[in-house]
Amino acid sequence: MGKVKKLSANQRMGEILQSYYLEGLKGGMNSWITSGGPVEFLYAMDIYPVYPENHGALMGAAKVGPKFASIAEKEGFSQDLCSYARSDIGSAIAGDSPVGGLPKPNFLFSCNNICNTVVKWYQVLSRMFKVPHFLLDTPFVRKELKESHIDYVESQLYDLIEFLEKITGNEFDESRFSRILMSSIEGINAYREVLQMGRHKPSPLTCFDGFINMAPIVCLRGTEAPIGFYKEMRKELEERVKNGVGAVDDEEIRLLWDNIPIWYRLRGLSEFFSDHNACLVADTYTNAWTDFGELSSSDPIRGIAEAYAPIYLNIGLERMAEIVNRLIDTYGVDGVVIHSNRSCKPYSFGQYEIQKMIDIPSVVIEADMTDSRVFSEAQVQTRLEAFMEMLRS
Amino acid sequence: MEKIGYFCTFTPKELIRAAGFTPVRILAGDRRINLANAHIQSYCCSQVKGCLENLLTGNLDIEGAVFTRSCDSLMRLTDIWEMNSKMEVYDLEFPTKIDENSRGYLMKELYDFKNWLEKLSGEEISLDDLKGSIDLYDELEEILGKIYSIKPDYELILKAETQDVEEVIEEGKKRLEELENSKNPQARVLVTGSVCPFLEVYELIESVGFTIVDDLCTGTRFFRSDAQKPRMEKMEDAMFFLIDKYFLKAPCPTKEYGRDRRFNYLLERAEEADGVIFLLLKFCEPHFFDYSQLKNELGNRGKRTLLLELEFPIASYEQQRTRLEAFHEMVVG
Repeated sequence: MGKVKKLSANQRMGEILQSYYLEGLKGGMNSWITSGGPVEFLYAMDIYPVYPENHGALMGAAKVGPKFASIAEKEGFSQDLCSYARSDIGSAIAGDSPVGGLPKPNFLFSCNNICNTVVKWYQVLSRMFKVPHFLLDTPFVRKELKESHIDYVESQLYDLIEFLEKITGNEFDESRFSRILMSSIEGINAYREVLQMGRHKPSPLTCFDGFINMAPIVCLRGTEAPIGFYKEMRKELEERVKNGVGAVDDEEIRLLWDNIPIWYRLRGLSEFFSDHNACLVADTYTNAWTDFGELSSSDPIRGIAEAYAPIYLNIGLERMAEIVNRLIDTYGVDGVVIHSNRSCKPYSFGQYEIQKMIDIPSVVIEADMTDSRVFSEAQVQTRLEAFMEMLRS
Repeated sequence: MEKIGYFCTFTPKELIRAAGFTPVRILAGDRRINLANAHIQSYCCSQVKGCLENLLTGNLDIEGAVFTRSCDSLMRLTDIWEMNSKMEVYDLEFPTKIDENSRGYLMKELYDFKNWLEKLSGEEISLDDLKGSIDLYDELEEILGKIYSIKPDYELILKAETQDVEEVIEEGKKRLEELENSKNPQARVLVTGSVCPFLEVYELIESVGFTIVDDLCTGTRFFRSDAQKPRMEKMEDAMFFLIDKYFLKAPCPTKEYGRDRRFNYLLERAEEADGVIFLLLKFCEPHFFDYSQLKNELGNRGKRTLLLELEFPIASYEQQRTRLEAFHEMVVG
């Protein structure tokens, strides 16, 4: 087995994540929020954001997804539902998880720019915890982003502010919000620079490094934490580049990953590719968070509406394929590994069509992000091995 | 008349007909899924796969298809559909959130949709066209409402979904008359779920001794709305009415309503029945997310429930029959 080179950033990231989770135990007001929601509003109102999806990923990586999912399944939640939702609901029922469960929410904030699943999931949570649920409804931007889409999302952001003012009893401070938004953009830029280090040949990082270290940009976007963290991580990567050190020894094949990681198989997959001198230099998943930094309007609220509506999972397949092709180009990729993720329909349905629209070879592996019970090791291994062979010939 | 296909009951079919097209609902067929498997994964529901199969096997005689993002699967089907057919494809982005704010947004979406239809037909939709279409559907829905308050007629709904509204009104009148002369003293069961165009399922439920109270997308949710038709003097009035009509439609689990309207509606409907059957399509997220809490709440209210999980085309009814018979015994016993 080839050894996987660990970044020292991983350890700092562990510390950041730990203190983030500890913060949640302090008992201040918190809101559960979806990964694509504009968290900047919560930070501006001193509301601690809880990320059930990050918690789901964490349970997946700790290989306890099936344990908690089955608790929800016993309550009648179908095994065909999203495994983040099932694991989290199971964890809430059990009041437990590798981090001791999530703090009970004061309210819930979902945004369907990543899926409509979260609307249903948060409705369930709203009944479970008997707390209000605010949905930020972003229309599907299949072709072009229409003015009416932006108007609609913008008007809801004003509803959101009113909702937050009412629930906290505090006034929304616009200048504070603008400062947080600036930090958010700065964090995103620092993060983008980290991801772009993958353009070097050999690449100093793999997408697995990206996955392991994405929590700050998801959960702490708008605070200082990601800015410093990603700047340092970049320095570490630059050091590798300077010394000609690749994340994978003798990098021969450069790959792109599509979809959410298979959290319980990060190490196994990482080793597999390393053994084949293949480096996953980029991925569509971590790259999606860089979309939030594209604020074109001078008005911050309208800017957020414009940036949060047409993100990667909320656009049509042609646009998605364009982005994939751009990544292939930018990162000098030889092949695409497509994770067909049973738990994520908007990410997975359409992958077969996207395959036809990309110019390089690709392979589809069937799995699930958190639920290892549907993962077939042998099948995935065989497919990937055949793909490696094909790329070499 | 040329036909325009649609999938979701939030599609304003009144506008389609006002533009001179017959709106026809696209549903799964009898065929086993084969060609669609090359375009969408196995963990997609068989309604979406079945519709795609109908497209790929050349079984649809329509000029265009209209999508709404009622769930993630339909959302992705839009592009897959467009890429694998020559017909016009349109996505009307009906809001997921039903509130005052989304009304203004839907108004713009409806005008955009009207423009698209006009381009397709080459003719402008006049106020009279739209009013005429609204009136026809109003008449049909009133008849369907009366029929369903006595006993669901799924065959008639299927016709209403796939044939011209005028023909169906005439047939509905006849059927209503026949029905008013028959009385039904059987145990009543609320059947809730998404779509099911296979009449055998309902025949089966009735054959074990139930009278159905309906909450299906290919049933009550196709026609029931609490909106009142106002005087419509300008196009905007008619559009306002359409917004009202679809906002006040029998609530659907794909939407976010304030005050848990969908749940409360269903619990209230269950009061009319002795038991509840969840007729759910495998992989249907909107319904399956609600299932656990609804089942528990119904149990708290003393209602027995049965889950029938379907995949189209339905391979065998016999296993379901045994379960239904046992359930009937429990409900009446």
